[in-house]
Amino acid sequence: MSEKNSRRSFLRQGFGIAALSGLAATSASALSLQNPGRDAGEMRYVGDKNKHLVMVMDLRKCIGCQACTAACKVENKVPTSQYRTFVLETEIGEFPDVRKGFLPQLCNHCDNPSCVSVCPTGATFKRKDGVVVVDNTICWGCGYCLSACPYDKRYFNTKTKTADKCNFCVQRVDQGLLPACVETCVGGARVFGDMNDKTSEVYHLLHTFSTTVLKPEQGNKPQVFYIGLDNKINELLNSTQSLDDMVKKHDGIHAEWSKTLIKEM
Amino acid sequence: MENSRRNFLIGTGIVAASASIVGYKDTLGAVALLKDKGERAKDSIYFNASAAEFSVKNNTFSPNEHYTMANSTCNGCTTHCGVRVKIEKESGKVVRVFGNPFHPLSSDPWLPYATSIEQSFTFLTQTQHEPNAYRSSMCARGNVAFDKLNDAFRVLKPLKRVGKRGENKWVEIDIEQLLDEVVKGGNLFGEGDVEGLAATRDLETLINPDEPSFGSRANGLCIIGTADEGRQNFIVPRFVQSYGTVNFMGHTSICGLSMRAGEAAYLGDFKKSPHLKPDFEHCEYLLSIGTAPGQAGNPFKRQGKLLSEARTNGRLKYATVLPMQSNADTIAMGDKSSWIPVLPGGDLAFVMGLLQIIIEKDMYNLSYLSIPSEKAKITLKEASWTNATHLVIQDEEGFGTILKEGEMILVLDSADNQLKNADDVTQGVLEYSGEVILKGKIYTVKTAFTLLRESANDYTLDMYAKESGVSVAKMQEVAHEFCSHGRKVAIDCHGGTMHTTGFYTTYAIMMLGAMVGNLNYKGGMSAGGGKFKDFAGKQYNLLAYKGKPQVKGARIDKARMPYEKTNEFKAKKEAGINPYPAKDAWYPLAAALESDVISNSAHQYPYALKTLISWNANFIYGQSGSEHIKALLQDPKKAIPLFIAIDPFINETSKYADYIVPDSVLFETWGALGVWAGCQTKVSTIRFPIIKPAQATFKNGEPICMDSFLIELGKKLGLPGFGKGAIKGENGENFAFDRPHDFYIRAFENIAMDGTPVPDCSDEEIELSGISAFKPLLQEICKDNWKKTAYVMARGGRYEDKTKSYNGEWLSHPYKGNIHIYNEELGTKKNALNGKRYSGVPKYYMQRTAMGQDFASLYPKAKFPLSAFSYKSNVLSQAMASSSLLKEIHYTTYVDVNPKTAQDFGLKHGDLVKVSSANGEVSGYLRLRNGLYPSTIGIEHGAGREGEGAVDVEINGKVLKGLAMRRSGVNINKLGLLDHSRAATISDFVVGSNARQAIPVAISKIG
Repeated sequence: MSEKNSRRSFLRQGFGIAALSGLAATSASALSLQNPGRDAGEMRYVGDKNKHLVMVMDLRKCIGCQACTAACKVENKVPTSQYRTFVLETEIGEFPDVRKGFLPQLCNHCDNPSCVSVCPTGATFKRKDGVVVVDNTICWGCGYCLSACPYDKRYFNTKTKTADKCNFCVQRVDQGLLPACVETCVGGARVFGDMNDKTSEVYHLLHTFSTTVLKPEQGNKPQVFYIGLDNKINELLNSTQSLDDMVKKHDGIHAEWSKTLIKEM
Repeated sequence: MENSRRNFLIGTGIVAASASIVGYKDTLGAVALLKDKGERAKDSIYFNASAAEFSVKNNTFSPNEHYTMANSTCNGCTTHCGVRVKIEKESGKVVRVFGNPFHPLSSDPWLPYATSIEQSFTFLTQTQHEPNAYRSSMCARGNVAFDKLNDAFRVLKPLKRVGKRGENKWVEIDIEQLLDEVVKGGNLFGEGDVEGLAATRDLETLINPDEPSFGSRANGLCIIGTADEGRQNFIVPRFVQSYGTVNFMGHTSICGLSMRAGEAAYLGDFKKSPHLKPDFEHCEYLLSIGTAPGQAGNPFKRQGKLLSEARTNGRLKYATVLPMQSNADTIAMGDKSSWIPVLPGGDLAFVMGLLQIIIEKDMYNLSYLSIPSEKAKITLKEASWTNATHLVIQDEEGFGTILKEGEMILVLDSADNQLKNADDVTQGVLEYSGEVILKGKIYTVKTAFTLLRESANDYTLDMYAKESGVSVAKMQEVAHEFCSHGRKVAIDCHGGTMHTTGFYTTYAIMMLGAMVGNLNYKGGMSAGGGKFKDFAGKQYNLLAYKGKPQVKGARIDKARMPYEKTNEFKAKKEAGINPYPAKDAWYPLAAALESDVISNSAHQYPYALKTLISWNANFIYGQSGSEHIKALLQDPKKAIPLFIAIDPFINETSKYADYIVPDSVLFETWGALGVWAGCQTKVSTIRFPIIKPAQATFKNGEPICMDSFLIELGKKLGLPGFGKGAIKGENGENFAFDRPHDFYIRAFENIAMDGTPVPDCSDEEIELSGISAFKPLLQEICKDNWKKTAYVMARGGRYEDKTKSYNGEWLSHPYKGNIHIYNEELGTKKNALNGKRYSGVPKYYMQRTAMGQDFASLYPKAKFPLSAFSYKSNVLSQAMASSSLLKEIHYTTYVDVNPKTAQDFGLKHGDLVKVSSANGEVSGYLRLRNGLYPSTIGIEHGAGREGEGAVDVEINGKVLKGLAMRRSGVNINKLGLLDHSRAATISDFVVGSNARQAIPVAISKIG
């Protein structure tokens, strides 16, 4: 269980950085920072100001198939061993009363994003349509935002060496299309759309069913809403463990990854 | 730490799968120093994503000219979903794969067939009020399968082995040399003479002089393929039958033959082996046994999609009966979903228990089961009927046959208890055991239903509970629920029944449906909508050609033929000796048994093969107990003198080949096929090369693939049905058969012209669906019909509209035969090893060998305390080893046990363990899962590979190192048992399906 040990201590370290970055953010007053693209009002930086884009996860429909995980990897060419979205799969309870729990996760595109306030360069910001994005030409990879995200949904892109995360596939959304994970969702659990449009499916779902968000106590106001989220799944977020990393280490495959995965798909 | 570990061990929850779900903060240590410059992303905000394939702005649709969007079929598993592929024009590379929104296996609802191609794109955008309605999805496999295309281990040129078989050392050779050598034979490997394919094709000489009925020497060629992925109608009629051999096998005996054969028994058709699927959409209670919608099973995506929808917005309540909790369940559904844990191989006892309860408590549909004939069915306005009232002869003479007068079936009329023509009776007597007099002769008979009742009562409910691991109370609860939803109740089963009693298990499972009469009902069971006429159609009969020989004789797998037809049997009988046991088992009710081919040839029973051609087959990976077959393949003198593999990869099986012929992969291939029964409407999926095949070509420029290779081989052998005039037009005109497109495009034209022909495709649609390059070929082949063929290609096939699914409360496409409560074919056959009659109705048996020895005595609990089972992965599949991207989604597989079991054996989560059976062993990491029946071991199938890039391969003296990530994981088939009663791998005792479930094993910690 040495893996677990190291993970634990690392997390503690992580929180240390988070505290520090809080200070840094205050002094840097990130929101006032300039961003040339945003200032010029380009679509990719601002989105459609009339929209409020959200995602609803109807967990009654999720079968934990990881189609979203796969489509996202391909669509966004997410580097090896990194993920913008995935589905946590758990078993809850003891034999014979065991239930499956699935928790698809991605950037919550918070209305009050702690990642934005800590960014010292203005590289990460919220578009007018609500999508939180990273400008990789401005990000210098300090990692403050990674620590600040209470959902642990940012990663350090090993290729670009900048912060990276889900951006609701704005390259598609800006063209009128849907995010890759939504298009491919087998059970139809992922629903995406404009909350300002009263005819939209997301509007309908949010006004028909009771929904929850992850870690509401953080006050980040996530814009990814869950239908049918069981408390037991929420509690598991920080206590689950997969053996895959242990096996990968044992198999010694890390060098293989970079060699065999297609570099430019 | 302490706290979390304790929680973990008592099981607050375990990550049971999936993408390495690590806190991302782990990467924080790697954040950039300011001077560190990474690779510049393509776009400041969009990072490295490719540009959108089209846009819809202000209701204006604009395709992106840099990409082609073309239709194909996914081969990532055996579901074969219709897909739409995004191809970068400049590089010709696949960028992404989407579902085809016209296709029922990718969308539900799917688009009406008349929808324009432009609309088929715009339907999927945000501008639609319900963009989710027509969303077309891909599973994890389907999203990444395309990376196989560019895998470093792909075979692109023909290979010939150097060194010993199985050493994985090869040289690239010219395809002409390969053809020459396999046709002529000779001392090809310096190991002595090998007979070539020309010499083996001898239609005159007997293959076994003692057994003339076994056919000619041409049967010395056996071809083992895979699931029908759309090219089986090419390979079988055009090559296998042209060569004159009876020996073609698919992959069913290592996949789901117990299911197929059991359903064939129920439906009374062992020849076509139809299968049934639940109508998930309108079902109110679904019992899935040995399969789990959403976890696996075919059609994977469609079942998952329909399950999600039906449980959320429909009235579906469902239970899954498995040794393992599956992805069919979710806590979000509350008590609409439940898991009934069952012991591996215990499903038969569970279902016999249900049948006993339903019958003894009179919970069955009496009037339905009393319908004795098709005529009565029509009179009573029923959607299906059974032979429950038919009378089965119990006298020694004619035992097991159904009482008839000529062709006329006789039943007892419930109105007056008189024996009458079933056609003249609306309600027969359901239960009778006694004598009847027909034309002055007395017959002792029982009704089929009486036989079923007696069989269900063979054991007590307590016994069924003990053997299944499911309580009597639970069985009673399920039986009650099952009989409380009228016809809107369904059952499903699949690979979980692949154990030694799997055939009767499936037969029994299906029988539950007969109790409520759910066949052909909305919300009940469906045989599917079928497909459009493809290979034999209005324009051409592509299956027929001049000079096609009549193939005959015994199959190498001893399937489809009873032992009693052999001279061996007759000779023993004449000599007055007990003809049983035969030298080995015979399987008259099985369609094909690729799992017995190698051992049968080695034992020269029924005869020895000369050549094996495998086509994307992989029984060495997929067959339980295959470790014991390796030695037979390794030595050319033992079983297979010449072994040619047609395979785009060197897998665990083709590794033993003498030659490897490359094949096209995925979107490079041709094909046409139907779909699984999960769809109520007609579906024909087609595919054609939408990207350029990567492999070497023939002189005529045709890429070397299965189809082109067999055309050239056929020509070289001078076989009928190739070259000039070999394709039969229905208008009397004949056409040349030189290239794959001569065949497949005509099949597409047949599909286009079937019934009411499809409309013409417009030029815009041809462009928009990426098929412009086929225009000249279409014009040349289809002449006046070319735009109609294009219409089908532009949509990736032809699909009946969803509105055609039902006719009131009935399915529009009903199964036309009747249900067999008693199967006469089965009830009149004997086991060739012990001479015992098979039960003609479902019956409980313990796990057993072909001869009938039970596992409990062969593999005592003291030595093998646990029972191992395999389960199908929702991400991995046999066909996906060569996708490295998939490993990022699902890295490896484990030895799964319940924490209670681990505690009993002093084992911990993450321990390296050894699992051993009487005939094999595997090692792997232990993973604790609460969702597993204690005292069982579950192993997910799809990892632990030894082919397709998992092991070193030497080509032209250069070594390509095998990848640890492909080797990683556990392959349960290495635990497979041998059946010592017949010197083969263990299998179902009636139909011979390979038994990979319920293997008695022991476990111990390594180190």
